[in-house]
Order: sequence, then structure tokens, then C-alpha cells
Amino acid sequence: MSENLCISPKLGKEDWDPDVITRMIILGPGARVSESEIVGEFHMLGLPLTIKNTCYGSMISGKKEDVYKAIKEIRKLDPAHIFTKERGFAPGDPRRCRGHRFGPREGFHQMEKEYTILGYVAEALENPKEATVEEKKPVSVDEFKKIMNESLENKE
Amino acid sequence: MVKVAIYPPNSLILADLIERKGHTPLVLQKQIRQKIKDPEIDSPPMNITEEDPIKGLKYAAIEVPSGVRGRMSIIGPLIDDAEAAIIVDGAPFGFGCIGCARTNELSIFLLRNKGIPVLEVNYPTNQDETYVMVNEINEFIDSLEEKSQEE
Repeated sequence: MSENLCISPKLGKEDWDPDVITRMIILGPGARVSESEIVGEFHMLGLPLTIKNTCYGSMISGKKEDVYKAIKEIRKLDPAHIFTKERGFAPGDPRRCRGHRFGPREGFHQMEKEYTILGYVAEALENPKEATVEEKKPVSVDEFKKIMNESLENKE
Repeated sequence: MVKVAIYPPNSLILADLIERKGHTPLVLQKQIRQKIKDPEIDSPPMNITEEDPIKGLKYAAIEVPSGVRGRMSIIGPLIDDAEAAIIVDGAPFGFGCIGCARTNELSIFLLRNKGIPVLEVNYPTNQDETYVMVNEINEFIDSLEEKSQEE
């Protein structure tokens, strides 16, 4: 696993530019567009971006204004199911890319957890409605005593 | 535009809901990007430098483990910039990116004590709870808009 510890990446000019940002575009469950459609749409915008097709959607990297412009356009395809998130490392950075190291990518577990409720969030954004949730309360002491006594009596 | 701190600071759902309303979420990834793009830090740049625990002293005392102080040197500036905050309570184990329970406690304590509007939502497990969470967040962000307009 030493590969995971001491990677000295050869970084390009763009990797050092503080104005270049990376964003992940994540499709929620039940999205009406596919990953490849999203990537195709990004290419069609004709902006100077690095675009990567991924299993969860895509990843784009470029100058801040170009990235935000592209995201604004891409959201129009399916506003409720397209989610975006910042990413610190550029696409394919050897310190994060699984092509160069072992184990799941850092940040994968968080995405996996959030993906389980992403469908509900998309549904709530698409069809907003009021909902109430009953607050779970602990069993009262009297009831607890009653249940305990009953079960003890039954045991005998 | 209001700068909203979120907890966990790498949350996709919280950051996305805030951005949809035109505000700025204070996410950890931006801090990490600053760190990895700093040419003065040696490679591999995600390593902690001797400066970090010193910066962390602003947020935690010297007796506090250096791990907490190191983490606070990255999360602390986000808390300083925050004009509002959204915190998720009752999340399952492993939710979030900090990897340190004490840093989580300290960060949430600092956000609560900062005197800014704070919304605490419960981690949803089903559809109705998600509706409640999304509605609460949207209402909170709308109330921030009204406040900033009044000012």
C-alpha cells in the first residue's frame, strides 16, 4: 500500500492555477439524463473545460467562470436530479485517481451515504409539499414497569 | 449572497441546496484546493505542515491534541467566514469527512456560539423526513435572504 502514501505528482501549469476549479456533477436516482448525455452536452457548450465521464455523472475542471456557466446550462436538462459538488483535486490527480492507487477514493464513502437519500431529495425538490414526522418518544416509566411485570409473570 | 457554513463540511446535499438559492456554501474542498495549489508546500502537499497546529491554536488550547488543532487550521477559517450555519444531527457513523469526534464537537460548538443563525436538521432516513429536511433548509435560506435585504 506504499503507493498510497508517497506520491509525488508531476503537476501541470493548470494544476497550480488558483483560478482553475473542479466540480463533480452527480446524477440522482431516477434522473432523466444519462452520464454520457451530460458529457455530450458539456462538449457541445464549446467551453475550455476538462470533462471526465464517471460512474456517478461527470467531473469538469476549468476557469471558475466557465465552470459555473457550464453548470448553469447543464442544470437546465433536469434541475431536480442534477447535483453538483466542489472537488479539491483535479480530475486524474494521482493522489486521488484510482488508476494510480489502491482502495476506494477518499470522499467515496460520503457520496455513497448521501446517494441513498439523494432520490428523496430530488423528489422533494421536484414536488415540494408539506410533511410532518411523528417524533419518536421513549416508553414511559409506568408502561415500561407494566410490560416488565407482565413478562415476568408470564415467565413463571 | 450569504456565506453559509455546513456540517459535515463536505456534504453534497447541503452545499447543493444552498447553491440552488444563490448563496455560497463554505465547503472543505475549497480549503483543500487552496492547500494543494500552494506552491510553497512540499509534495505530497496534503500532509500537515508545522504551521498548521500553530494556526489551530486560535481555535483550540495547547493541551488539545495536535490532530484536533491541525484539523481546526483547515476548518477554522470556514467557521470564521460563516454568516449562517446548517448542521446535520443524528447522522450515521462515518457520515462526514473529519474522522475525529472531538473536532466535530469543537466545530459545532464554535458555530453554535458564534451568534449567527444556525439551523439544526435531523438526518433523514425516509421520504417524509427528507421532505421535512428540504423544507426546513429552504425556509431557513429564504429567511436569510429577507434578513440581508432588511440590512
